[in-house]
Amino acid sequence: MSQNNLQQNIQTEEVSHEATLYAEPIAHIGGLTVTNALFTGWVAVFVLIIISIAVRAKIKQIPKGFQNLFEIIIEGAESIINQVTNDKKITAKVFPIALSIFLFVLINNWLGIMPLGGFGIIENTEHGKAFIPLIRSGTADLNMTLAMGVLSVIGANIFGIMSIGTWKMFNKYVNIKAFVDMIRKVRKEPTLLISAPIMFFVGVLELIGEFAKVASLSFRLFGNVFAGEVLLLSMSTILAYVLPLPFIGLEILVGVIQAFIFSILTVVYYTIAAQDHDHDEEHESKEHKVATAH
Amino acid sequence: MDSFITTFHIDWKIIIAQAINFAIVLVVLYLFALKPLKKLMKEREEKIAGGLEDARCNAEILTLTKKEYDEIVAKAKIEAHEIFQEGKKEAQVKKDEMMAQAKTDVDHMIASGKKTLESEKAKMVEEAKKEIVSLVVLATEKLLAEQTDKNFDQKQIKNIKNS
Repeated sequence: MSQNNLQQNIQTEEVSHEATLYAEPIAHIGGLTVTNALFTGWVAVFVLIIISIAVRAKIKQIPKGFQNLFEIIIEGAESIINQVTNDKKITAKVFPIALSIFLFVLINNWLGIMPLGGFGIIENTEHGKAFIPLIRSGTADLNMTLAMGVLSVIGANIFGIMSIGTWKMFNKYVNIKAFVDMIRKVRKEPTLLISAPIMFFVGVLELIGEFAKVASLSFRLFGNVFAGEVLLLSMSTILAYVLPLPFIGLEILVGVIQAFIFSILTVVYYTIAAQDHDHDEEHESKEHKVATAH
Repeated sequence: MDSFITTFHIDWKIIIAQAINFAIVLVVLYLFALKPLKKLMKEREEKIAGGLEDARCNAEILTLTKKEYDEIVAKAKIEAHEIFQEGKKEAQVKKDEMMAQAKTDVDHMIASGKKTLESEKAKMVEEAKKEIVSLVVLATEKLLAEQTDKNFDQKQIKNIKNS
């Protein structure tokens, strides 16, 4: 009798599905908690590996179909990146990273809005039974966007070191050079007494700015994609299947735009990191001297 | 910070896992798709550029060849005209020479004909003369033969008488 009651309770108990700020765990592998966003990340990696192998296998001197599409993407991406960098050498180096970021973020964004959300597991939680989808946009998890943001900013700084050198890159953040110049040239230029501490402070601001970049990149992407997921869930709660359709179209567009913004901002950070401000200043002062001499 | 970590379930292991995911994507995309495709596109671009350059060179060569051809044709026309004119002149000279030669030959022939005629005539006259003489002699002989006998006898008689 009690067993029948329990079964009835199980059958009548509602399964809740809420949009959570965090990715829900679906499995544990050793010490690693596999969340649905991490799983989506793996699916995205798998999809991109398949695409890459497919491209490699069908590569021909005279392009056809899939290769044509990929070549159009490559040419378009290169053209856009070149508009940002204005330097073909930087473009050649940044292009693979930017395109990889774009495709990885895009696939992660789109996987979340595909009708795969219906597949999942039901778990008992404190508030009763909850449906946990197997697929959640990878970018709707701050862990993923943080990882991408950190990689982007660290990558930009490494690129800066490779382009202008460690010392110059270090002085961007801890401007010791400004104080050395102040001591050396203070008699000729007393204004350095004011400008050097300001320059040092600007360096500190730059350092803080690097953390801000990580925060801005990761929260922007996470916020947009998570908001999209919440929106779709809300719409499907109001009127399932019909009402979310236009919003799915919108989210497809948002997915592209967000992936584009993330990759373009990365290109901008790489370009800024590769620029030597001292060299520019020296160049400007030389031009000024030449102009005054004439 | 703790509330931030708990609210968003920040887990450094997941962060590292996602970073590894991206690293795999970057490496695979670069090695399998971007690098070979870029290489291929560059090769194709070079081929197209080379083809265009070749086409430009060929067009230049064609233009030059056409120019040369036109020049050669024009030169050949002038030369042909000159050769024709020269031939015409030479032919005229030859014609004149031949006419002169023919005239001379004709003159010679006429002259030699005249000479032959003259000599023939002279011969004929001579022969005629001889014929006439012999005829006259013969006739005379005949005439005389009849009269001579009478006269001869009389003369002989006379001579004998005188002697």
